[in-house]
Amino acid sequence: MSLEKLSKLVEAGEAEETKVLTEQLLKDGIDPLEMIETLTKTMAHVGELFAKLDIFLPEIMLSGEALTEAVNILAPYLAASGGREIKGKVVLGVVKGDLHEIGKNIVKLILETNGFVVKDLGYNVDSLTFVKEAESMEADFIASSSLMTTTMPRQLEIIEILKSKGIRDKYKVVIGGAPTSQLWADKIGADLFCYDAKSAPELFTAILADK
Amino acid sequence: MSTLYRHWEIIDRARTGKFMEEEDFLPKHFSPTLKKLIKKYEIKYDPKNPSPTDDAMADRIWQAAWDLFREVGYYNTDSHRIIEVTDEEIKEALYMASDQYVVGGGKDARVMRHRSVEDPEPPFCIMSPDITVDEKYHQSMCMAYLKEPLLDGLCGPILEETFGHLIESGGPTEISGCIQHIQNQKMAARLLGRPDTFMVAVGTAEHDSGQIAVSNDEWGVQKTDARLVGSLTEFKTADTLLNRSLHYAQYGCYTGNLTGAIYGGWCGGSEGTAITTVAYSLIGLVIHGAMFNQHFPFHLNYVSNTTRELLWPISMAGQALSRNSNLLYTSNGFANAGPMTEMLFREVAVHAMVSTVSSWHLWEMASTRNKYRNRATPLEARLGCEVGHAVARQKMSREQANEIANKLLAKYEDHAADAPMGSEYHECYDTAKAVPTVEHMDMFRRVKDEIAQMGVEFPY
Repeated sequence: MSLEKLSKLVEAGEAEETKVLTEQLLKDGIDPLEMIETLTKTMAHVGELFAKLDIFLPEIMLSGEALTEAVNILAPYLAASGGREIKGKVVLGVVKGDLHEIGKNIVKLILETNGFVVKDLGYNVDSLTFVKEAESMEADFIASSSLMTTTMPRQLEIIEILKSKGIRDKYKVVIGGAPTSQLWADKIGADLFCYDAKSAPELFTAILADK
Repeated sequence: MSTLYRHWEIIDRARTGKFMEEEDFLPKHFSPTLKKLIKKYEIKYDPKNPSPTDDAMADRIWQAAWDLFREVGYYNTDSHRIIEVTDEEIKEALYMASDQYVVGGGKDARVMRHRSVEDPEPPFCIMSPDITVDEKYHQSMCMAYLKEPLLDGLCGPILEETFGHLIESGGPTEISGCIQHIQNQKMAARLLGRPDTFMVAVGTAEHDSGQIAVSNDEWGVQKTDARLVGSLTEFKTADTLLNRSLHYAQYGCYTGNLTGAIYGGWCGGSEGTAITTVAYSLIGLVIHGAMFNQHFPFHLNYVSNTTRELLWPISMAGQALSRNSNLLYTSNGFANAGPMTEMLFREVAVHAMVSTVSSWHLWEMASTRNKYRNRATPLEARLGCEVGHAVARQKMSREQANEIANKLLAKYEDHAADAPMGSEYHECYDTAKAVPTVEHMDMFRRVKDEIAQMGVEFPY
C-alpha cells in the first residue's frame, strides 16, 4: 500500500482498484496533496509514453479514467487546503461541419490531466456556441479543431464573432487540427497554433503567462 | 453487383438498433472487442518483415475482422444507435459482390479486377495528390496527372477557394467549389484527349450537399465515375455519410468506401490496424454497397503509412482480403516527405511494392503528411505506379519485396519524424505546360535507377 502502487494502478488504467487504494491511503493519513502531485507525475509519464506510441490511445484513456476516480475522491480534501491548482479554463470543440474528433479528445485528456479545466463542446459546433460557452464559464481559452480544409474558415469565424461582440481580447484563441498551421493562425489572427496534443499544456501555460 | 438492395433495411437499423452513448462506443465497446480478438486469433506484429508471408495469420486476420464487424456493428452518431449485421448478411453480400467492374467510358474505359497475392497482373492505378491546391494551379495539376501514362483513374486536387472566396463546408461556396473542381478535371481530360477517364470525385465536397450538386452525366460526375463515402474514426457513421451512399446508388455511379484506420488510436498497434482495415472492407460492402474500398491506414503522429509498423498491416490486410474474398481495394499511400525529395520517391516505391505483391490496387500518393497546400505532384505517383507494374509483371514474391523494402526503409525510416518538406507544385513543375522540371526529372531517374539496381525490373 503506497503511493508507488497508486501510481502503477493509474498507469495501468485500473480505475476500480485506484478508487479503493485512494480511499485506503486517505484513511492511512497520506497527504492528499502529495497524492495528487504523485499522480500528476504519473500522468506526465503516461503522456510521454503515448507521445512515443509506446502505448496507444485506449491505454492512455484508461489511465485518464483511473486518475479521474482518484481526483474525485481527493477533491473535497484538496478544496479544504486551497484546492488543486487550476492552470486555466478552456472551451474546446471541433468546428461546425466537421465530425472528426479524435485529436480534440486527446488534447482534452492531456489538458485535464495537466491541471486545466476543459469544457468539451463535442464536434460540429457552431462558432457562436464557442463564444457563448466561453462567456458562460469565464474561460481563458477558446480552442477549436478542424480536420478538413473546408471547415478551417470556421476558426476565422470564431475570431470575427469575438471582434463583432467587442470581446476579442478577453480570450486566447487557439487553433489546431491536421490541415491547420502557424501560417493559418497568423492569417486569421489566432493567438496560438497548437501543433500537437503533448505540447498543449506547455503552450497554453506559456501564452497565458503573457496575458 | 452492389449490395444496395439491402440499403433500406440497413438505414432502418440506424434508427432502431441498440442504443449506446457515443462516448462509450469506442472505449467500452470497440477497443475491448478488438483487443479480445487480437488475443483470440493470436495476431502478432513482426517488425522485421514489412512484407510478411504468413498465410495462416492472414486468414486469422480475416476471421478476426469478420467477428469485429459482427460483434461491434457500426455506430450512427446522429441516432446514437448501432447498425448490426448477421453472418448470413455478410456471406450474402460477399457472394453477390462482383470481382470486376468496368469503369470510365469509351476508349478510356478500364477493368478493375480482384487481385491475388503476388498477382502477375498489374494493379489498377488511381493517381491523386490528396491535398489542397491554389485555385490558379488546380486545372494545371489535373492536367499534369492526366499526362501520366499509367493513370487508370484520377482523383483531383482539392480546392480551398472558389473565385477568391474561401470554401466553407455546407455553405454555398462549397457547392460552387465542387462544380469548379469537377469541371476543371473534366476539361483537363478532354483537352488531353482522355475525355472519359475514370474519375473519383469530388474531394472538395466535405458535406453531402457538395457531392449531390455535381451529379450530372453531361458536365459533372458521370455514372461511369466513382464517389467516396467515408467513416468516422473508428466504425462510426452519420446521416450526412449515409446520405452519400444512398445518393450515389440512386444516381447510378460507383461507390468507394474511404477509410483510414489510425495506428496508435483506438485500433492500438499494427495488429489492430490490420484487422480494422479488413473489417472496413466488409463495412464498405455491406453498409454502403461499395464497389471498391479505398484504405489509408496511417500513423497517429506522422500521418503517414510508409514506415514498417504501417506496411505490415497494409500487407497483411491485403493478403487477408485477397485470400478470403473477391473484393476490390486500393492502397492509398501517405508519405512523410514532400515533393522533389529522394525520401519521398523511396517512400512511394516501398508503399507501392509492398501493396502490389500483397494484392492491392494502387492509389498514389499523398505527400508531406497530406497536410500542406500544393505539396504533391504526379511524379511521385508515377514512380509508385511504375514500381507496381514492374513488380507484378516480374512476378515478384513477398520475400523479395520484403528484402528490397528493408533496404529502402534503412535509407529513410529514421527520418519519419523530421522528413523534408520538399517543394511546392509550381517549384518543381512547369505549371503552364503541366510537366516536371528538368531537376525534378533528374531526381526521379536517379532514385528509379537505385531501385532498379535492387532488383525491380521496370518495363521501360
